[in-house]
Amino acid sequence: MTDERPAAATQERPHLTTDGQDFKQLTKAALAWLQHHQGTINALNVYPVPDGDTGTNMVLTMQAAWDEIRDSPEQSVGQVAHQMAHGAMYGARGNSGVILSQVWRGFARGLDEKQAYGAQDLALAFQEAQATAYKAVVEPVEGTILTVARAVADAATKAAQRSNDLLHVLEQIVFAAHETVMLTPSLLPVLAEAGVVDAGGQGLFVILEGMLRHMRGEPIAEDVELAEPMDLVATGLAPGETGYGYDVQFVVIGQDLDVDVIRQRITEMGKCPLVVGDPSMAKVHVHVPDPGVPISYGASLGSLHDVIVEDMQAQYRDFIAGHRAPLPASPGGQQGESTPEIGVVAVVMGDGLAQVFRSLGVSAIVDGGQTMNPSTQDLLKAIESLQAEKVILLPNNSNVILAAEQARKLSKKPIAVIPTRFVPQGITALMSLSPQADFETNVDAMTSALDEVETGEVTLATRSATINGMKVANGEIIGLHNGELRTNGKSVEKVVTALLTEMHAAEGEIITLYYGEAVSEQDANELADLIQRKWPEQDIEIVAGGQPHYHYVLSVE
Amino acid sequence: MPEQMRSRGRIEVSPAAIASIANQAVLTCYGVVGTADRDLAAGIAGLLSPDSKRGIEVHVQDGQITIDVYVIIEYGTRIAMVAHSVMNVVKFSVERALGIPVAEVNVHIEGLRVSDID
Repeated sequence: MTDERPAAATQERPHLTTDGQDFKQLTKAALAWLQHHQGTINALNVYPVPDGDTGTNMVLTMQAAWDEIRDSPEQSVGQVAHQMAHGAMYGARGNSGVILSQVWRGFARGLDEKQAYGAQDLALAFQEAQATAYKAVVEPVEGTILTVARAVADAATKAAQRSNDLLHVLEQIVFAAHETVMLTPSLLPVLAEAGVVDAGGQGLFVILEGMLRHMRGEPIAEDVELAEPMDLVATGLAPGETGYGYDVQFVVIGQDLDVDVIRQRITEMGKCPLVVGDPSMAKVHVHVPDPGVPISYGASLGSLHDVIVEDMQAQYRDFIAGHRAPLPASPGGQQGESTPEIGVVAVVMGDGLAQVFRSLGVSAIVDGGQTMNPSTQDLLKAIESLQAEKVILLPNNSNVILAAEQARKLSKKPIAVIPTRFVPQGITALMSLSPQADFETNVDAMTSALDEVETGEVTLATRSATINGMKVANGEIIGLHNGELRTNGKSVEKVVTALLTEMHAAEGEIITLYYGEAVSEQDANELADLIQRKWPEQDIEIVAGGQPHYHYVLSVE
Repeated sequence: MPEQMRSRGRIEVSPAAIASIANQAVLTCYGVVGTADRDLAAGIAGLLSPDSKRGIEVHVQDGQITIDVYVIIEYGTRIAMVAHSVMNVVKFSVERALGIPVAEVNVHIEGLRVSDID
């Protein structure tokens, strides 16, 4: 790290020490920030050895670490770090979680029994963290969390030699972590081929960045994605004694404004303060129980502009209301009542698709969320909510099959998981569901129906990559056949026709087009016309799927 | 001995070769600090000796490959997670190298290495 960045101009005084309670807040911020990035980290997960989802695993590990200390009144930072490492060790999920737990284990050991740490202590703790992390493997793989942990330790040591300001040290740590994450593709060929950085390394960077944001007073928790599992997000949003209060933002235009003074006053008023600007203009953001206080203060300084006040309590209520998974079966559902002994739980994303599945006799829908990554817990809740004695589970995504299998093992009810990897497979399986037949017969029929349908998915490439020798540019339209990348191009029409050809549409009878939330009905109809002209023999069906990310999901049967 | 039929002849892979691949994979598994003999007493020598294949047993029956892995794990890691990772990595590495499915990977934890007590 040759170019030293200047320490943030935002601080009032150097942060010299961090005690146990401060460290708790840092951990909490790290968890919330990691949750916020969970989806993006999961998306980096290309390592061919299945590790579930790295982002999710790291969140669950940090969650366990936080749970261990959240109620701790301990003042000693050494003690809190030991407790936190203990939580991470016992709650470690996946390979990335195990490595992370060792990082914290070493970190805690490095702090020993200290009451509070300063810059030198922090550097020593990160040195011990990387040493401990490396010790637990015979042949360390570089280009992973381990490499990032070592870069962090080196940066911390260097920075602590120059400054005793913890904010400065943490900044250098975060820069080093970021730079090293960017280097991971050059260290690990599998990353370079997929055109991504290492997911675990990115996770560690995000954790440290969350801590830095907390120290700088930058916002973290209020913009946590709503698609995350509720019990996790709720932690990030945990209300203070006064509930969630109000999110207040405004711009002050005046003369000779002293940004540092404004920041200090705003910081005293509430949480998540953020003040930036110059002598002529300042932008203010803060969470307060009474929005009048910061606004009056702002008005005393100059003229107010772009005032935004949001009721976070109401946002939280809406969020909770929107997250009451699983949705109960619609009363009077066509087939729901005729098969009381068999219930079907399906994981679906998109309102339209949920509707389709319900109309085909699914009794509970688990919302897959933005990333189709529901927890085993979500599935179990849905299973237990049903009256049915036996339950059939449709994961509808290869990433969900493991969680579904886990739910099957944990549930007291007899459960069958039909390994549906795609939505059309789920729908085809449901077509074979017969209310008259018994559980085993239905399971057999549904499972053997899976091969009858070909699935195509059309989406945007979110990064440039070379996969199976195909070069794909970021932002290009790509087509997947049964989950394998097959075609790419600039226009949706071209990709759809190429994909349907690949799917042997000419040999099928019905082509179904499920259009996503980003596609208008008119566009879908136009595309259907085009398909009909090209495949005049086949029946074309159009369904408003409302799924995120995927413009179209296609099926040929 | 597992074999793959090819139009020009037969390719046979010996269990020892499979064990080498598996051994290499095991040593990159996070949390594994060594392989060990089935008998721990004899296995101490196998600790930290990457060339050793003593900790791997490969059985082939009716064309099905079963691999038994005997490992020493770092004390303080979550053992179940490390063991799962060993299963995945060994299965993946052998299948990628040979193109033959591995039926089972059994992980036997022969000991824990205690490097520090926290």
